[in-house]
Amino acid sequence: MKELTISADAPGQRLFVLGNEAIARGAIEAGVQVAAAYPGTPSSEILETLTGVAKELGIYVEWSVNEKTAFEVALGASICGVRAMASMKHVGLNVAHDPFMTASHIGAKGGLVVVVADDPWAWSSQNEQDTRYVAEQAYMPVLEPSSVQEAKDMMVDAFRLSEEFGQPFLFRSVTRIGHGRSDVVLGPISRERRKGALKKNPSWLVYVPRTARINKPLMLERLEKIRKAANTLRYNQLQMADKAKLGIIACGLSYSYTMEAVKWLGIEDKVSILKIGTPYPLPEELVIKLLKSVQEILVVEELDSFVELHVKALAQENNVAVKIHGKDVVPRIGELSARKVTEAIAKLTKSKLPVDFAALDKFEQEVAPLLPARPPALCPGCPHRASFHAITTAARRVAREYGEGVEPIYPSDIGCYTLAVNPPQQAVDTTICMGGSFGMACGIVRATNAPVIAHMGDSTFFHAGIPPLVNAVYNKANVTMVVLDNSATAMTGFQPHPGTGYTATGEETVALKPEDVARGCGVQFVEVVNPFDLKAATDSIEKAIRFPGPAVVVSRALCAMIELREKRKKGEKVVPYHIDQDKCSPKCETCIKVLGCPAIIREGDKKVIDASQCTGCSLCAQVCPYKAIVQE
Amino acid sequence: MVKEFNILLAGVGGQGVILMSELLGRSAIADGFKVRGSEILGMAVRGGSVTSVIRIGDDVYGPLIPQGKCDVLMGLEPSEGLRNASYLSRSGWVILNTTPIIPFTVSLGQSSYPSLDQVLEKLNSIAHKVITLNAAEIAKEAGSLLSANVVMLGALFGTGLLPIKISTIKDSIEARFSGKAAPINIKAFDLGCQRVQKAAT
Repeated sequence: MKELTISADAPGQRLFVLGNEAIARGAIEAGVQVAAAYPGTPSSEILETLTGVAKELGIYVEWSVNEKTAFEVALGASICGVRAMASMKHVGLNVAHDPFMTASHIGAKGGLVVVVADDPWAWSSQNEQDTRYVAEQAYMPVLEPSSVQEAKDMMVDAFRLSEEFGQPFLFRSVTRIGHGRSDVVLGPISRERRKGALKKNPSWLVYVPRTARINKPLMLERLEKIRKAANTLRYNQLQMADKAKLGIIACGLSYSYTMEAVKWLGIEDKVSILKIGTPYPLPEELVIKLLKSVQEILVVEELDSFVELHVKALAQENNVAVKIHGKDVVPRIGELSARKVTEAIAKLTKSKLPVDFAALDKFEQEVAPLLPARPPALCPGCPHRASFHAITTAARRVAREYGEGVEPIYPSDIGCYTLAVNPPQQAVDTTICMGGSFGMACGIVRATNAPVIAHMGDSTFFHAGIPPLVNAVYNKANVTMVVLDNSATAMTGFQPHPGTGYTATGEETVALKPEDVARGCGVQFVEVVNPFDLKAATDSIEKAIRFPGPAVVVSRALCAMIELREKRKKGEKVVPYHIDQDKCSPKCETCIKVLGCPAIIREGDKKVIDASQCTGCSLCAQVCPYKAIVQE
Repeated sequence: MVKEFNILLAGVGGQGVILMSELLGRSAIADGFKVRGSEILGMAVRGGSVTSVIRIGDDVYGPLIPQGKCDVLMGLEPSEGLRNASYLSRSGWVILNTTPIIPFTVSLGQSSYPSLDQVLEKLNSIAHKVITLNAAEIAKEAGSLLSANVVMLGALFGTGLLPIKISTIKDSIEARFSGKAAPINIKAFDLGCQRVQKAAT
């Protein structure tokens, strides 16, 4: 079986892809020339897919240092006339918000598409956030696909529309689109490669106050044109049923759940459905036509009541007396599902539920107490486990001197290390946003009398850690900042970053070191340690905490997953540790209770190391008080 | 033509759930079916629960199985199978790998792990049919412990419920694995398939 690839020039053929691959494929078909991103679940695979075909197709692809820069890279290319995109997760758009707000005044010369992946239920995010509001705030039109196939098709059109109307477009994905899988029918690939040029025009590109005043009306004009065009765009479709009492307005992926729900309830010929592919601006003529044809409306959308509020405003402006439902029957929290939409429609139509959901809920409640908690954990051999042991040991030593009962404070950040919020580490006191640990440390230290030891990963450090580091130096904050340097953006899939020495497409480049950055920023105490040399690491961190003024410790060891992968490639053997049961004390639980390594398990009364999981990191051997853990 | 056939794969990071869904999806397309699905990746690699959905048929729109409509639940691990059992339809089957993977929360004394009898009792109360097998043992017989997920894939086809042809999924397996791994995985598939064919009759 010859497998097609994502760059295959095979129009009409079907390929089984991940949604994010489909989004990338859409950009490829559209002839994107510049693509930039910072990794973030559930958006990372979009740019990753492009890195794999960049050379072959002549696309410039980069992992940018953060989302703001990624957006600026795309904007810079667009104003020069080439097609460009930036992709990010929803909270990444917060980082890019500043240029995002003004970019819509500039508009787009080369098609400019910002792909933003929302994460309903916050599967791998710090919050649920509805990007459509941010888009509206910036007057940036939104395309929202209902399926993986449509995601691919919409991306192609997003670039075309952006150029046709001269406005950047925002493409809203969600977790179940980006991490959805589907067969996708491929389209032709544009081979057009433009030579960009910057036409200098300060009243268009230099945002002194008068520029905004000149360009805002132009932006609003563009948006009005898009508002009209939305009525005939193929992604907005009104399916009228004869004598329907209920009209359903379903936005993006919610349309797929709605279609399944009405079939499940057996009422597909009794309701009119308006499928929305452009939540902003809405296809107003279609909405009004539907409003006027039914007695009741249900708006189905994931997260907030964005479309619902606009529909309510339209009903009021057009004097249509129709009852409009939305978040009164559809949850505002989490992902939607066929069940949730079915329940909402059944409630409004007084239909019988197709399945006894209450019985399934009861079953779940009965089963719940039997199920073990299985949260993600720091991997066996993870260097963060060693770093946290060193950090907490050193911090407790110093905290004692602050007074009885004083606990060290650990502001943390966004990365694998956030998992140390769980026992046994419990060394994460705050996690808010990228780079937030160093910034909040600067405030916590002003309000408390306790050692403050902040930590963040290397990729996060380059992303948003440097300005708060400078702040700590400038304002003489007595905080300790540990950079947990595992030489990867590990949590999102080991993407390279400015510290790794190579680019998204594998080219060698300067490897920036956090310790050099810290010294350059004026930090007077900077040390680099290997966390697996536990004693040295602990002593260094203790010195850093005692240092009067901001101190930085870079705790560096390669991510265990990458190290294992590299060893396998080189044919090197992993030599696991084992527990000498003659030396092990049955009462002692240090290895299990202090480290929480998934490779150390109980077998009856005994503690044993699962050789298939052990990476030979030596940490347990270093903490065992009986020296009972030895390498084979 | 198939209207709707829903498969839910439930396991633990590292068990090969995603590979199984890729093989299923590609094979379904090769046989001319429409396919939808989704998975939760994210933190899965760090030993957390993993689920992946494959849906086949013309009436399928969404990426998730509607609760109460799962035709086959593949429990690659007993507690993970049980965790997802409320998705089963009344005619749904469970294929359960009986080897537990005990999470670290149990070692830490924060939670407990159910006995296999407890798991089976609950599964039998909601499923039309429950088939158990020790995938690791069968994988060893096939030549590699790593092929346990393909043993489970074979078991899935052994039910005779799937619309995908066995020859197609075998083509996908051969295309996915190179060298020595290909015949081992084909054997793993056959053994898993036979094991369930026997149990189902």
